[in-house]
Amino acid sequence: MSSFHGNKVNPTRMHKSQFKFYLFLISLSAFMILPIIFMFSQSLKPIGELFLYPPRFFVENPTFKNFYDLFNVTSVTVIPMTRFLFNSIVVTGSVVFLSITISAMAGFALSKLEFKWKKVLFEANIIALMFVSAAVTIPRYFVVDTLGLTDNLLGHIIPVLAMPVGLFLIKQFVDQIPNEIIQSASIDGATNFTIFRKIVVPVIMPAMATVSILAFQMAWNNTETSEIYMNKETLRTFAFYMTTLTGNLENKVAGQGIAAAAALIMFVPNLIIFIFMQSRVIDTMAHSGIK
Amino acid sequence: MLLKRIRRRRESFTGYLFVFPWIIGFLLFMAYPIYFSLNMSFHKVLITSEGIQKDFLGWDNFKYAFLSDPKYVEELLVFIKSVVFMIPIVVVFAMLVALLINQPIRFKGLFRAIFFLPVVITSGEVVKELFAQGATTISIVERYGIIQFIEANLSPSWSEPIIAIIQQLIVILWYSGVQILIFLAGLQKVNSQIYEAASIDGASPWEIFWKITLPSIKPFILVNIIYTTVDLFTNSLNDVIILIKEHMFKINTGFGYATAQAWIYFMIIFVILLFVVVIFGRNEDYNPRKAGR
Repeated sequence: MSSFHGNKVNPTRMHKSQFKFYLFLISLSAFMILPIIFMFSQSLKPIGELFLYPPRFFVENPTFKNFYDLFNVTSVTVIPMTRFLFNSIVVTGSVVFLSITISAMAGFALSKLEFKWKKVLFEANIIALMFVSAAVTIPRYFVVDTLGLTDNLLGHIIPVLAMPVGLFLIKQFVDQIPNEIIQSASIDGATNFTIFRKIVVPVIMPAMATVSILAFQMAWNNTETSEIYMNKETLRTFAFYMTTLTGNLENKVAGQGIAAAAALIMFVPNLIIFIFMQSRVIDTMAHSGIK
Repeated sequence: MLLKRIRRRRESFTGYLFVFPWIIGFLLFMAYPIYFSLNMSFHKVLITSEGIQKDFLGWDNFKYAFLSDPKYVEELLVFIKSVVFMIPIVVVFAMLVALLINQPIRFKGLFRAIFFLPVVITSGEVVKELFAQGATTISIVERYGIIQFIEANLSPSWSEPIIAIIQQLIVILWYSGVQILIFLAGLQKVNSQIYEAASIDGASPWEIFWKITLPSIKPFILVNIIYTTVDLFTNSLNDVIILIKEHMFKINTGFGYATAQAWIYFMIIFVILLFVVVIFGRNEDYNPRKAGR
C-alpha cells in the first residue's frame, strides 16, 4: 500500500510487486474475451469446419462465404434490409436517450427531493425489478393495444421506457452525492432543474453510461415488440428480421453458417456502443467530484 | 413557518414533476400488467380469437403448482439452491476484481473494459445465440482438455469440487460485470488520504481492508447483492422461467397457471431480498471515521 500516486490513475512504470496482480487479471481476462473470439471465429468457419466433430474453437481456414451467403439471402427478400435497420436505429436511439433521461430525473427526485410518495415509488420499482417479465407479456399487450400503439413505431419505444434497473442503479449513485453540495447550491439560488443539470448529471455520468449500455442492448436485441405488437412487416426491427432469417434456414446445412454470420452482425453494434460508452465511464469516474 | 411550508410544497411539486414521466410509464407498463397477472393467477384463462375467457378458480392454480405439477417444485428447488450458492461468490468475486483493478497498476482502463465486457454478452439474443452454437461455458473448458487434465492428475475427491468451481467460474465471471463497476465506483470515492494516514500509523493492508475499505463500500455491497439476486433470478435463460413460458401457451394449464407460477417465483425472490436487506441494510449509515477509532 506504499505506492499511492495521488490522483494519477496509472503509475509511470511497472513494479515487480505488481506482477501477481497482472497474472491474476490477465488469466481471468482470457475467459472474459473467449465468447467474443468464439463468435468471430464461428462466423468465419467454412461449412466443413462448423460441423466438425469434435468441434474446434478456432477457425482454421477463415472464409467470408457465410457473409456472402447472408447477403445473397437478404437481397432477395421483398422488403429491403435497410428498412429494418432504419427502424432499429430509430427505436434504439430513442429508447436509450429517453430512458436515461427519465431514469436520471426520477432517480434524482427519489433520492434528493422530499415528497410524500417517494419511498413507496422506489419500493414499487424494486418489486417491478424482481418480477418475471414473461408473466406480464399478455397484460402488456392489452395496454399497448388500448393505447393504439400496435403497428406503430412508438410501440417499440414507449413500453420499455420505464426501466426498473436503470432507475435502481442511478438512484443508488445519486444517493452518494453529499446533501451539503445540493443544499449549498440551492442556497446560492440554483433551482432544482439547475442542480439536476449542473451537479447531478455530471456526477452520475458513470451510472448513466452503464445504464445506457444496458438500455442499448435491451432495445437493439428486442424481438418481442416486433413479434407481438407489430403486424406490418415494414415496422419490425432488425433483430427480429435476423431471427426470422436464421429461423427459416436452421434446418438447412448452409443455414448454420448464415446464422453465425447474422449473430456476429447483430453483436457488433453492441460491442461498438460498449467500447464507446465504456470510455465515458472511465473518464468520468476518475474526475467526478464525489470523494 | 409559512415560508417553510411554501418551500416544502414547491419542492414536493418539483419532485413529482421529475418523477412524472417515469410514473406514467411505470403505471401503464409495469404496475397495471403486474396487477392484471395477479388477477389472472386466480383464474383459468383461455385466449381465443374473440378475446380472453376467464373462469374463477380460487387458489387451485397455486395448489396445482405445489401438489400436482411434476416439474415445477423440483426445478424451483434446484434453481434456488444454485442461486443461493452463487450470489455470495459473485459478490465476493466482483469485490476482489474491483480491489485488484483499483490498485495502482497499468492498463487499468483496459482491464475494467474487459471485465465489464460480458455485460454485452449475457443479456439478450447474443447469449442465446452462443448457447445455440454450442459455446456453452462447459464445452469450452472441455475442448481444451482442462477438465481431463485435472481428472487425470488429482484424486476424485479433489477434482470434483475443483471442476465444479471451474465450470461455475465462467458463469460467475460473466455475471459480475456490472457489480465490478459498482464496486469500483465505491472504491474511488474513498479518500486516498485516509489510506495514507492509516499506513503511516502502521496499519497492515489487511487491517486497512477490514477497517477502512470494507466499511466505506458497505452500501455498495447491499446494492450488489440486490442486483445479483435480481439478475440471476430474472435471467430469461433460467430453467424456471423457461418452464413458466412453456406453460403460458399450453391449453390444459394456460396463462392463468403460468402467472400463478410466476407469482410463487416472485414471492421467493421477494423473501430472499427481504432477508438480505434485513441482514445487510441495518447500519447502512456506517460512519467510516469510527472504524479508524
